[in-house]
Amino acid sequence: MFKTRLFILFALVAAMGMVAAFATAAEDAQTVAEKEAKLIAVLASDAPGAQKAIACKELAIYGSGKAAPELAKLLANEQLASWARIALEAIPAPEADAALRDAVAKLDGRLLIGTINSIGVRRDTKAVDVLAGRLADKNADVASAAAVALGHIGDAAATKVLRAALASASDDVRSAVAEGCILCAEKLMNAGSGKDAAKIYDEVRTAKVAKPRLIEATRGAILARKSAGVPLLIEQIRSPDKAFYYIGLSTARELPGREATEAIAAELANVGEDHAAVLLMVLGDRNDPAAAPAVLKAVKSNSKRIRIAAMGVLGKFADDASVPTLLETAVDDDAELAQAAKATLIGLKGGKVDAAITADLTKAEGKSLLMLIELIGARRIEATAALIKSLDHEDANIRAAALAALGETAAQKYLGVLIARALDPKHGDDAPAAQRALKAAAVRMPDRESCAAELSAALAKASPANKTLLLEILGAVAGEKALATLAAAARGDDDALKDTATRMLGAWMSVDAGPVLLNLAKNTKEEKYQIRALRGYIRLARQFAKTPAQRAEMCNRALDTAQRDDERELVLQVLELYPSIDGLKVAVKATKNDKLKAEATKSALVIAQKLGGKADTKELLAEIGHAAVKLEIVKAEYGAGDRKKDVTAELRKAARDLPLISLPSDNFNSAFGGDPAPGVQKQLRVQYKINGAAGEATFAENAMILLPVPK
Amino acid sequence: MKSKSRRPDRRGFMKTALSVGAAMMAPEVIPGSALGKDGAVAPSQRITVGGIGIGNRGTYDLGCFLEQADVQFLAVCDIKETRRTAVKKIADQKYGNSDCDTYRDFHELLARDDIDAVLIATGPNWHATAAMYAARAGKDMYCEKPCTKNIAQSLILKETMQRTGRIFQAGTQRRNLPHFAFACELARTGKLGKLKAVHAHPAGMKTMMSGWMTPEPEPPKEQIDWDRYLGPAAWRPFNRAHLDGFNFEKGGGMTGGGVLEWGSHCVDLCQWAVGADDVVPVEYNPPKDGRLVARYENGVELIIRETGWLPLGSCPVRFEGEDGWVEAGDSGKMVLSSPALLAGRKVEEIGGYPATFHVRDFLDCVKTRSQPKGNAVAACYAHIACHAAGIAIALNRTLKYDRHKNEFIGDEQANRLRSEALREPWRI
Repeated sequence: MFKTRLFILFALVAAMGMVAAFATAAEDAQTVAEKEAKLIAVLASDAPGAQKAIACKELAIYGSGKAAPELAKLLANEQLASWARIALEAIPAPEADAALRDAVAKLDGRLLIGTINSIGVRRDTKAVDVLAGRLADKNADVASAAAVALGHIGDAAATKVLRAALASASDDVRSAVAEGCILCAEKLMNAGSGKDAAKIYDEVRTAKVAKPRLIEATRGAILARKSAGVPLLIEQIRSPDKAFYYIGLSTARELPGREATEAIAAELANVGEDHAAVLLMVLGDRNDPAAAPAVLKAVKSNSKRIRIAAMGVLGKFADDASVPTLLETAVDDDAELAQAAKATLIGLKGGKVDAAITADLTKAEGKSLLMLIELIGARRIEATAALIKSLDHEDANIRAAALAALGETAAQKYLGVLIARALDPKHGDDAPAAQRALKAAAVRMPDRESCAAELSAALAKASPANKTLLLEILGAVAGEKALATLAAAARGDDDALKDTATRMLGAWMSVDAGPVLLNLAKNTKEEKYQIRALRGYIRLARQFAKTPAQRAEMCNRALDTAQRDDERELVLQVLELYPSIDGLKVAVKATKNDKLKAEATKSALVIAQKLGGKADTKELLAEIGHAAVKLEIVKAEYGAGDRKKDVTAELRKAARDLPLISLPSDNFNSAFGGDPAPGVQKQLRVQYKINGAAGEATFAENAMILLPVPK
Repeated sequence: MKSKSRRPDRRGFMKTALSVGAAMMAPEVIPGSALGKDGAVAPSQRITVGGIGIGNRGTYDLGCFLEQADVQFLAVCDIKETRRTAVKKIADQKYGNSDCDTYRDFHELLARDDIDAVLIATGPNWHATAAMYAARAGKDMYCEKPCTKNIAQSLILKETMQRTGRIFQAGTQRRNLPHFAFACELARTGKLGKLKAVHAHPAGMKTMMSGWMTPEPEPPKEQIDWDRYLGPAAWRPFNRAHLDGFNFEKGGGMTGGGVLEWGSHCVDLCQWAVGADDVVPVEYNPPKDGRLVARYENGVELIIRETGWLPLGSCPVRFEGEDGWVEAGDSGKMVLSSPALLAGRKVEEIGGYPATFHVRDFLDCVKTRSQPKGNAVAACYAHIACHAAGIAIALNRTLKYDRHKNEFIGDEQANRLRSEALREPWRI
């Protein structure tokens, strides 16, 4: 019994990509203890390495201190040490710590390094002396591992050892000691002992260690000092060395406090425009209101680059004192500057910004007026009266901007104004802008039905071209009234309107268009509209959430209505996409159609395969001559030429009691655990028996695996 | 191992240029329009890049890097000879020389002081470990996803990048695709009303582990360095089927799987949509009917589900608020509950791929030290959410997570799965 279980366990996990299901529910202590005992027994047995490895994995979950002795024996085993440490690192018992500590004296080389690393991960404070002894190990990698592990432990004793070692360590170990010191200092800093941390960071900064350690220690030395670290921060920002300059920039984003903000802001006056631009980004990232005056000052700089950078971060400060400057810049002759100012104004927070923009509207002209109207639209400011007045402005650009702004801001009661401008513009050139504005306004109206009613009413009096426009807008608005209007147009006699209406209905975004589309598919005279309507109906069946019965019924109706194989195949694809017993019934019914028999049979098998072995499935398949079979995979190979792999096991696992085999992935390379012949088209060759009769079949890469039933 | 193709004179030039620069002037910082997006950039001002583990996905990433005028790709490291050679060929063709150096041991590449940043595109087994070694060597990095194998690695990744001051960009390029960013912003800024649920597509809902397969003859180290390939993963004999780095030891070989594979994209986007880059759900339920439901502290549901998606391409996400919803996928398309949410824009003009935007974001941040979209904090917590979901699947029970202590509440077995020992001599 025990051996059988072991075999099953091994078989479950030995193959690549197997499902790891090692627990199914919360287990009581007795069950866990029993599992642990069996796993320990595997380790103590002469079981193959593979079984012991997996036992270690499971002991990481089920193991206690009782498992430590057997796990410890594996720490000297080159093949199994890493597996043993998976368990020992995870088991929350002092016996695990003791096992790792004891092993330090017995191991060397990589195995010792691994054990030391695990001690570090477990932060075993009792191991400080053991690790301290290894700091002088002749193997620099061992000594380095000990230093870093001590850093992870990071208590007072470990810190003391590491600080002493920073002076005494050999050149090839000192950087690792520094890494350990930095970890200790970080722990102190996070615990609120910034002064002690700063001392350690400073010791590392003056030690002869690798440059990355100097960089890290510099960052720590700044942060540990808090506001007293500002001078050191500024020193980095001024550094000619790129690495220190960079750590200055990133630490400047971390160090909190007004002092730091003001010191960084003060640097703007001392650096070139490239550096100032970057410092402005730093100030923006700090999110400290204390930076606002400096950023605002930079907006007025003589340097274009600095001005653009400043405007780029100004939006982070809710400061409307910048609005006059930005409004002025937004009409600058320099398009880049103007665009930056406009973008900032659009995103600027602060209650007075909208007021400042509308205040200037009545007296503004030319470029300024155009810019203000664009801002009104972009910021969604209510200024309808002024915008309507601008619709009759002599400048076509102003009129177009006002239309666009109305599209974004006008309330529902002004929809009539936009309908009139779109259908009968006073200036012919305004028509495109007015039509865009009408659509933008219509789709955001809170009362959709009322909006659709107003548009539908306009439809009756509109010119043919405008009718098309209104139908398209109604399609975007959607809702009951719009659907009814479009349905009527689709049933009418005007071909252009039928075309537009069926197009809009075909892309409808809710299932309530289903009956309309089905009706059109059945009753419209023109084949092209029949097809469009039916495809729209099938799309609804595919795209939207519904019960299996509802989806199957829609597919059934679509199959009954379809006149062409193209649409029938689309329906079968929907059924395959959402496998259900209801859908299978529809596919089985479709096999009665001689023309569709082959495709429908294939779909039925695919659905059945996805549904697994449900009883209803077998009965339905029996109806189409596919009763359950006894399938045996004799041999399967996947690949090309002489680069083939045996995939018999994989195929056997996927095979059920149907001639169709569904793999875990549609991609054969994934399903079979790798590509045996990269860059080459491969084949799957299967030898099998169905109900005892032998067969053989070959399939192209990633093809459906439907085994012919041998005669 | 080191190739003999390197020309010391060019590398020497780079070194000279850097040292002269250091002595005579402040470091180059090139903001705004001069960030290398326009025109040629002098070699001394380029970001020098090395590649670690450049396979299929990595080659796509590399293409995005090579498009940038301010990038100079100097060297590649790979445990597979064929890949080293292939990447060298691409780089040398790009620059019209034979200067791209090749290494089998990434320590040699990381030891080069003329390399600013690395592209890490190994299999997931190596991502976190290589990233940590790169950080400790003072390199900025673009690291493919999934970036970590467990919760502990996710936290250490974040802490290490902060401690070392490195710029880290996870290969979560969808954060820089305009239509995904637009959809996330709709959710984050309240345009969908009070957020109720965010939906993510996994690549399956099973947990996977790589086992110990039948031993096969091990190829020469020069061709395939098996010891290096295993790297931090527990030892097992060579078997060619393991060489599919894409799946090997993903998620620590115990709880990784489909949720982690696409979750590092889709759950990541959901986190962004919730505005929770430094937060994770506090409850994880095992899957039921193909849906895994997790909950944030504020009640928003994270729903990881396999079916019921609109046909918008792979890696779809959906965000639902009280007033509207939006769904987006890799096709670059979005479907919204109302066109009003587009505020006059068209889905087509918002646009989707290419992933070059994400690489550009990384390079700009290398120069300004701002945080890129896929930064270490965002990646850390998105990955924790995926790992926690994976543990709920593996244990098949509801788990409560204390996001402040980063531990499961009252579930020791779940807590044991938060980390896993690395094979010697590797550490993070």
